[in-house]
Amino acid sequence: MSPHGVVDRPGPLCTIQDLGRRTGRRAGLAPGGAMDQRAYLWANRLLGNDPAAAALEITLGGFALRFAVETAVALTGADCAATLDGAETGTWRTVRARPGQVLRLGYSATGMRAFVAFPGGLDVPTAFGSASAVVRDGWPGLLGRALRAGEPLRWAEPERARPVRRVPRELVPPETASLTLPLIAGYEWAEFSDADRARVFDAEWTLDPASDRTAGRLAGPALGSGPRVLDSTPLVDGTVQVTGDGLPLVFMRDRPTIGGYAKLGSVDPIALDAFAQARPGTPIRFARADLDAIRRALARRERFFGIHGDR
Amino acid sequence: MITFPGPVSALVTLPVAPDRDGIARVLRLERCARAALPDLRATIPAFNRLLVEGSPHSWDAEDVESRLAAAAEECLAETPRIDEGDPVSLPVCYDPALAPDLQEVAANAGVDVADVARLHSGTTYAVLATGFAPGFAYMGDVDARIAMPRLTTPRPRVEAGAVGIADRRTGIYPAAGPGGWRLIGRVPSALFADAAERIARFRPGGSVAFRPIDRDEYEAAGG
Repeated sequence: MSPHGVVDRPGPLCTIQDLGRRTGRRAGLAPGGAMDQRAYLWANRLLGNDPAAAALEITLGGFALRFAVETAVALTGADCAATLDGAETGTWRTVRARPGQVLRLGYSATGMRAFVAFPGGLDVPTAFGSASAVVRDGWPGLLGRALRAGEPLRWAEPERARPVRRVPRELVPPETASLTLPLIAGYEWAEFSDADRARVFDAEWTLDPASDRTAGRLAGPALGSGPRVLDSTPLVDGTVQVTGDGLPLVFMRDRPTIGGYAKLGSVDPIALDAFAQARPGTPIRFARADLDAIRRALARRERFFGIHGDR
Repeated sequence: MITFPGPVSALVTLPVAPDRDGIARVLRLERCARAALPDLRATIPAFNRLLVEGSPHSWDAEDVESRLAAAAEECLAETPRIDEGDPVSLPVCYDPALAPDLQEVAANAGVDVADVARLHSGTTYAVLATGFAPGFAYMGDVDARIAMPRLTTPRPRVEAGAVGIADRRTGIYPAAGPGGWRLIGRVPSALFADAAERIARFRPGGSVAFRPIDRDEYEAAGG
């Protein structure tokens, strides 16, 4: 089958992502999924796609895609100064393309990850109900690796006509120079010393360059390593774990399902989107979370984007 | 004990040992929780704990807590039902040339290498948790005579199929990578080649048996 487009340049890390795997967690599979779910969801929404349609997550940019058909795509996330045949396209919008045209993403100056969605979603294999690539899980093919130069892509409905649509300006997430992450105290929180618990909300860390799709690592003041955890404990999204060096890390999409170090709790799942866009060196603080507000925001997001819970 | 590690999740820790009986009770609790809380989206059992994840549209922490507490009480009152299904049987080659810690474990126990193989393969294990890596199962309980803590410094690379012990747990590395368990045997790595098979093999509460094989059989199985 002839491709609808070919990846000329994948950039440093380009993977296929969706909302991730929920059912596989019981079997020890990383959830996977788009690092910035809000940007990913907007990309599909702009095209009228299912909210869980497979799309491309492009880390830092440096990407080029040559179209073989007349179609449309949606661009969201980090602004990588995208061009179509050299003409600036802007982002947080759909872009129409003709056969032979090339969509190029430069290198992002502010955020970390851009998303490109396709009409009907990418036509790719799934495992445990998701097309998300988790490189360290060892899946075959595109479920377990990054895209390569020359990779052919097909999407479900290339010909479906799409009006040009943009995300309203007031709904485009602002770029932030620093982040405050709402922390839900939990797990071994009560077993950390009083001084450590106070320090969590007083201290400022920066995002370490060693951060990746598995975890955002924080550099800065060390906490005590906390209580010894005898058995690995099931983790939730955004779990904040303190490893032997006393530095917190925030688990992201490619996290393990259980963890054996002491944990402070978890970060508001919605705040993980902005965290996924933070560049190394970004100042990071924690604040006490308002659980009811978080639940309301999660429910609002699911309704707005049409996400079904049984996925 | 019930805690709330996330906005729509609850973690139940049963006051029981994290062993075969413990995971059996947790699996019973998982079934009860699914019946008592119809809007659950995921459950993860591990050792003596159960994580449940619900929906932001219906989560009511007080209600969840009281239903989970009632379910936990019920599970603790019952005799745990142990999985009686056929164990997953895996061939293991206990050869010091393939298992860098085998001789040390034998020396520490004051027995021969052959005794370590006999003691390790002489019991049926229960899968107490899956995770760490896809297709990795924490199994127990290892005979106390050959139990040994994990290495202080993990090895940078452990081969796929390596069988390790850590205290009274045993497990098989499903893929090559760093690891700190004491390596006492090897399962032919061909058994870990297929991702879907590797992941489906172990389920929490299931039984696993090891069958000792010699080096010839190990090589014949693809090494």
